[in-house]
Amino acid sequence: MQQRLLSWLAITLTVLASAWARSSAGDKVLVVSDAKLEAAEYSQFWDGLKNRGYELTFRKTSEEAPATSSFDVPSFSHIIVFAPSTKTYPADISPQSLVHLLSDPTQPTNILFVLQPSTPSSPLRDLGREFGISFPPPATPLIDYFNAVSPSNATSLLLTPPVTPHTPGFNGGDVLYSGVAHLRSNNPLLVDFLNAPPTSFSADPLEPADVIVEVAASGGEGFWAGGRMGLVTGFEVLRGGGRATWVGSLDLFRNAATAINGKPTANNAYALALASWTFQETSVLRIDSVEHRRISESSPRDQYRIKDDLIYRIHVSAYNPATGEWEPTSQIDDMQLEFTMLDPHIRTALSPVQGEKGWYETKFRAPDRHGVFKFIVDWRRKRYTALHSSTTVSVVPFRHNEYPRFLSSAWPYYLGALSTSAAFVLFCALWLLGGNEEEKKKTQ
Amino acid sequence: MTILKLPTFAPSTLTNAASLIRILALAFIAGAAISSRLFAVINFESIIHEFDPWFNYRATRVLASQGFTEFWNWFDPTAWYPLGRVVGGTIYPGLMATSGVIYNILHALHLPVDIRNVCVLLAPGFSGLTAWATYMLTKELKDESAGLLAAIFIGIAPGYISRSVAGSYDNEAIAIFLLMITFYIWIRALKDGSVLYGTLAAVFYFYMVAAWGGYAFITNMIPLHAFVLLLMGRFSHRLYSAYSAWYAVGTLASMQVPFVGFQPVLTSEHMAALGVFGLLQLVAFVETIRNLLASKQFQLMLRWFLIAAGVAGGLIIVGLTVTKTIAPWTGRFYSLWDTGYAKKYIPIIASVSEHQPTAWPAFFMDLHMLIFLFPAGVVLCFKELREEHVFVIIYSVMASYFAGVMVRLMLTLTPVVCMTAAIALSSLLDTYLNVDEPANPDANGVKETATSGAETPVDGTISKKKKKGVAAAAAAAAVTPSIATKAKGRSSAENGIFGIDTRILVIGNAIFMLVMFVLHCTWVTSTAYSSPSVVLASRRPDGSQNIIDDFREAYYWLRQNTPQDSVVMSWWDYGYQIAGMADRPTLVDNNTWNNTHIATVGKAMSSPEEISYPILRKHDVDYILVIFGGLIGYSGDDVNKFLWMVRIAQGVWPDEIKESNYFTPRGEYKVDDQASEAMKNSLMYKMSYYRFNDLFSGAPAFDRVRNQQMPKEGPKLDYIEEAFTSENWIVRIYKVKKEDPLGRDLKTAHAFDGGKRRKPSKPISRRKALAA
Repeated sequence: MQQRLLSWLAITLTVLASAWARSSAGDKVLVVSDAKLEAAEYSQFWDGLKNRGYELTFRKTSEEAPATSSFDVPSFSHIIVFAPSTKTYPADISPQSLVHLLSDPTQPTNILFVLQPSTPSSPLRDLGREFGISFPPPATPLIDYFNAVSPSNATSLLLTPPVTPHTPGFNGGDVLYSGVAHLRSNNPLLVDFLNAPPTSFSADPLEPADVIVEVAASGGEGFWAGGRMGLVTGFEVLRGGGRATWVGSLDLFRNAATAINGKPTANNAYALALASWTFQETSVLRIDSVEHRRISESSPRDQYRIKDDLIYRIHVSAYNPATGEWEPTSQIDDMQLEFTMLDPHIRTALSPVQGEKGWYETKFRAPDRHGVFKFIVDWRRKRYTALHSSTTVSVVPFRHNEYPRFLSSAWPYYLGALSTSAAFVLFCALWLLGGNEEEKKKTQ
Repeated sequence: MTILKLPTFAPSTLTNAASLIRILALAFIAGAAISSRLFAVINFESIIHEFDPWFNYRATRVLASQGFTEFWNWFDPTAWYPLGRVVGGTIYPGLMATSGVIYNILHALHLPVDIRNVCVLLAPGFSGLTAWATYMLTKELKDESAGLLAAIFIGIAPGYISRSVAGSYDNEAIAIFLLMITFYIWIRALKDGSVLYGTLAAVFYFYMVAAWGGYAFITNMIPLHAFVLLLMGRFSHRLYSAYSAWYAVGTLASMQVPFVGFQPVLTSEHMAALGVFGLLQLVAFVETIRNLLASKQFQLMLRWFLIAAGVAGGLIIVGLTVTKTIAPWTGRFYSLWDTGYAKKYIPIIASVSEHQPTAWPAFFMDLHMLIFLFPAGVVLCFKELREEHVFVIIYSVMASYFAGVMVRLMLTLTPVVCMTAAIALSSLLDTYLNVDEPANPDANGVKETATSGAETPVDGTISKKKKKGVAAAAAAAAVTPSIATKAKGRSSAENGIFGIDTRILVIGNAIFMLVMFVLHCTWVTSTAYSSPSVVLASRRPDGSQNIIDDFREAYYWLRQNTPQDSVVMSWWDYGYQIAGMADRPTLVDNNTWNNTHIATVGKAMSSPEEISYPILRKHDVDYILVIFGGLIGYSGDDVNKFLWMVRIAQGVWPDEIKESNYFTPRGEYKVDDQASEAMKNSLMYKMSYYRFNDLFSGAPAFDRVRNQQMPKEGPKLDYIEEAFTSENWIVRIYKVKKEDPLGRDLKTAHAFDGGKRRKPSKPISRRKALAA
C-alpha cells in the first residue's frame, strides 16, 4: 500500500517536473568536475542545458556536498561527470554508488561520462569496464591523419556523426573531436552513437610511427585501431530505463570547439543532442496499461481455462520533449506477446489497433496445457527505452461441468445400460407372472 | 466338577449384564484410544504434524471455505510452480470431505469449532471407530471377549498410533477404520450371502477408495479370499452373490473418484478383482448347468470348458498388458517385490524414508507382545478354518510380507495382528478361566491317555514361559483343543485344567504381559510418535524441555516479509509446509508426481552457482530455503539428503551430474577440507555453510551432524544472498539476485561491489597475423 502511494507520488512529481523540464525524468542536474577544471570554458554547453529547462548544480570532486542521494532517495535526476583525471572520488560518487544510482529500477539517475585522452583516470577506466567499455593504455589519444584538422595536429579530428531521430537538434555537420577511443564488448545494452574513422588508431601522439612499426612487426596484434572503436557510446540499463553515455572527448563540449579556423562546427548541437538522449528526453517509451480478458467478456480474470479465446491489449506512450507530455504512440510495428510457462507456448505479434492510438492488441487461443502462464511483452530496441511487462495468470483445465454431457461415441454404453435395465424389468415381470403358474402346476 | 462355586443368576440377567459390560468396555476402549493419542496436543499444542498433513489441512480449509464444488475444481497455481496442480483430480478427497462434513455439522449445531481442531482431532476420533470395527470383525471370528481384546489392542497398539496421533491429519487416519469396516461387512456379506451387505461393503469400499491409495489392498484381498475359497472347493451361492454385488457396485463407485478414473479397468493392480469376478461367473454357470444335467461326460466337458475359459481369460489379460492397453505395474508396485528395485531405477521412491524395508526391532516396538501372539492366533484360525478364518489367514500372510518390505505398511499389518493375538489370548483365558475341571481321569481310564497327551505340554509350556516370560503364544497353541471341546459343550469337559495354582500362574502371567503391553504402548506413544516434527523438543541439562521452533519461525518470516507471489524453492520435503505455513508458491512438494521437476530442483541444488542461476531464473525463484542441522545437530537436514538430490538429478541429466563426483577419492561423504570440488561448489553446500565460520569467532567451525571440522575458508556466494537464518540455524533462506542491471554476470558484479578491480582486457585482433 505504502509502496503504491510512494510510486503515485513519484509519478505525480515527475508529471509536475515535466511541466517545465524537457526531460521525462526530471530537471536537476549535478555537474561533477575536476578540481582544476574551469567551468566557464564550457559555458555554451551549460547555457544550452539551462535553456532547455535544466537546473545545474556544480560540484568539484574534492567537495563533499551536495550529496547525490539522501536516505537512499536520489537528489538529482542526472549527473554529468566532467572529471576525467580525478584519482579518488568521495563515497557518494564512487563508481559503485554511481552504478547504484544508475541502476535504480524505479528512479534511475542518468549519467554522462566524459573522458580525456591524457588520463582516463583509473576509477573511470575500471568503471568503463563494468559497462563493457575498455580503454587503450593511458596517454594514447585517437590519431587519424586522414580526418585531422591539420596534419601537424593529428589528434584533433573533424568527424561527421550520423543524424538519427534519437539525437534531435543535431542536423548534421562536422564535429571537432579530440580525445580517446574505446572498445565495446558484446554487451547488448551498449548503444553505439559514434564510431572512430576506419583510418584512426590510438597511440602516443609524440611517437606514433614507433607504434605502427612495432605493431606491424607483430602482425597487428593488440593494435587499437579501426572503425570498430567507439567514440561515443550510450548505455541503457536492463531495468528502469536509466541511461548513461560515455564520450571520449572533453574538448567536444568546450566553447573553443564551436568553431575551428573561423568555421563553425556542430559541436554544441551534438553535445546537447547527446545530453538529450542521455537525460531521457528522446526515444523514451513507457507502458501505461495492460489488459487481458476473454474475448466474450469485458473484465479480466485471474484464471483462464484451457482453449479460451483471449485478447491481450497493451497501451504504449512515447514522451514528447517538445510539449513535455506523454503521447500515445502507434509507431511500434514489431512488438510481440509471449504466453509463457517455462517456454513460450504462444508467440504472436501485437499489432496497433486502428483508431485507438497507443493500443496494441492480439487475439489468441490459450494452449491446451494448464499451469501458471505469463503474458510477457519484452520489447528491446537499441536507443529506445526497453518495454517490459509481465502479467501472471493461471490456465486451468475444464471444470467438472464443462465437459460435454452426452457423447455420440458413447451410444453403445447408453444402449447397453438401457437394454439391460429393460431386460431386467422384463425378466422380473415374467418371473412374477410365471411363478404362480408353476406353483399351480406343483399344487396340481 | 468345578474348582470354584460361582453364584448363579438367571440367564437373562447374565446376557443383559454381559451386553452392558460390553458396551461400557467398548466406550472405555474408545476413550482410551482417543486419549492416548492426545499426548501430542498436551506435550506441544494443537498443531498439524509433519508434511503431508499440511497439504490435507490446506485443502480442507479450501473445502470448508469454498464448498465442495469449488474444491472439486480447485486448481492450485502455487504448487509445482509453474506447472500448477489440479488438486481435485490428483487427490483422494475422502479425508477432506470427512472433515468438511464434520465441520459443517458442528456449525449447523452452532458449535463454532475451528477447522484446524477438527483436522487435528479427526484421527483420534476415528481410532475409536476403528476399535469398534475391529471388535465387530473379531467377534465374527471367535466371540465377544476376543473382540473386546482386539479392540483394546488396536486402540493402543503403537503400530496404528504412529499414524493417527492428534495432528497427524493424513489419509491413514480414516483409512484403517474403513479397511476394518469394509472387511467386516465383506465377512458378513459372505456369511449371509447377502446382496445388501455386499453392496454395503461396496459403499465402504468406495469411501476407502476416496480416502487412501492403499485401497488397492482391499481390491486384491477380497478377490484373493474369494479365489482361495474357490480353490478350496468352497464355492457357494453366498460367495457368488456377495462378491458379485461387491465387485460390480464397488468398481463402478470407485471410478467416480476423479483420481482413480478408469484405473479399475485399465491397470494391472485391479485385474485380479476383474479376473476373479469373471471366474466366479464361469463357476456359477458351471454349477447351474451341473445341477440341471446329470451326465458325467457332460460335466467333464464343462470342466474342460471352465479351464479353457479361465486360461483364455488369463491370456487376454496378459495380452492386453503386453500391448500396454492395461497399464503395466507401477514402480511402487515393483518395489514391493524387489526391495532393491526402487534404488536402482526410481530414486525418488527410494528416497522416501517410509518406503524403506522394516527393521526387526520395529516390529517389537510397534506391536510388543502381539507379535508373539500373532502366529498362535493364526494357528487357531487354521483349527477352525471357516470362511472368515481363511480371510484372516490370507490377510496375515500378505500383510506380514508387505510390512517387512516397507515401513509404512506396518500399518496394514497391525489390525490383523491385533485380531489374531486377541483370538490367541482370549482362547488362553477361556481355557484357564473356565471353572470346570475335566472329568476324573480314573473314571474312564481309556480317555486318560488321550487327555494327558494334551495336558503335559501345557505344563511344559508354562514352565518354559516362566523362563521366557513371553511365550504365551505357545501355551495358547497348546490349549486349543479346549476350544473344540467348548464348542461341544462345557458340561462334558474331557480336556481342561486341574487345580487352581496353574490357573493363577498362567492368568497372572497373562495379566502381567497385558500390563506391560499397556505401559509399553503408552511409553512409545508419548516418546516416539507424538512429536509434530514441525516443532522439535530437546532436554536441557537440568531436565527441562527446550522447544526448537525454527521451522515456524522461518515460515512466518517468509509469510510476513516477502511478496505474496514470491516463489520459494526447497527440496520437496518442505513443499507442503511452505505452502501451508508460509503461503508461498513452491517448485516441488511432497506430492512427488513429476520426477523431472524434482530433478530440476536437484540439479539446481547440486550444481555450481553459475549453472544453477539460469535454472532459478527460468522458474522465477525468488527465495531458496535449506535446512541445516550442523549447528545444533539436527540430523534430518538437507546436506544429509543431498545425495538423493544428486541421484535424482543424475537420473535425468547423467552427463552433467554424477554421484561419484560428490565423494572424496576414497569414497567418503565429506564436507570438510577433503570434500570434493563438486561438493564444495554445489549450491547446497554453499548455502548450508555460508558464514558458518563466523559463528566460531576464529576457531575452526565444526559440523555436529557429520562430526567434521569445516575448512577455514567458508564458501562465498555471488548469485544469491542470505535473507534469513533462524535461531538455531536450522532453516536458512536465501534470496536470488536479479540479473545485473549492467548486463554483467553476477560474480563480476559482486566483485565490483566489493571494490575489486577487474583485469583489463586487450582488443581481440580480428586480423590474421601477417607473415613477416
